[in-house]
Amino acid sequence: MIKIHPNTVFINGAISPAWIANAIQSHHTQKHTGGHSIFLGQVRMDIIDNKPVEAIEYTTYTEMAIDALQLMCTELEKKYALDAIQVNHSLGIVNAGEICLFVFTSAKHRRAAVDACTELVERIKAELPVWGREIFSDQTHSWKENKN
Amino acid sequence: MKISILAFGKIAEIAGKSQWEEIPVQDTDSLRKKLENDFPALQNMSYRIAINKQIIHCNQPIQSSCEIALLPPFSGG
Repeated sequence: MIKIHPNTVFINGAISPAWIANAIQSHHTQKHTGGHSIFLGQVRMDIIDNKPVEAIEYTTYTEMAIDALQLMCTELEKKYALDAIQVNHSLGIVNAGEICLFVFTSAKHRRAAVDACTELVERIKAELPVWGREIFSDQTHSWKENKN
Repeated sequence: MKISILAFGKIAEIAGKSQWEEIPVQDTDSLRKKLENDFPALQNMSYRIAINKQIIHCNQPIQSSCEIALLPPFSGG
């Protein structure tokens, strides 16, 4: 069974391209895997009341988030016969244009990897207890809400 | 015995705190009523309640030892 490692899911600040490269490298030991699928979530500079979002500050309910992620991974591993799953989410401040979510799925064939990755991203958006505070350049803020 | 409350995101901002204790109430509907009386801004927003990290979908009894979390709409990813 694929186990989520509680101490490694959340990352302080943005997820860097170098960090992502290392994550990909670390999955090369799975020789029977035929396809990996990766989703990168980026902080978008939404315009709200004519003010651009400069950054998002993320917080979570860690224990509940880890339980929720473990449940998602267990279900998707079974549904798609996955070889590997990795999820990382930023906490704290992430500037617009930077990466805040890394989702990685591996399977024997591409279709399972791609479909599992898509489904996992959708479930993370809906089920992971994470909150984003959108910060504007004038230091005001609003609370983001994921749309279905 | 008191019940422990955790608040997140916008609710922590409204309450001005992210963790506190409440005197015991019978169930989650009573808790909502109490909280919305203390923090009227909660009346105008949607939020869910988790008991011991499980989101509840209808009124549930509250035991004194449980951990109650107040969850605004999620916005991860």
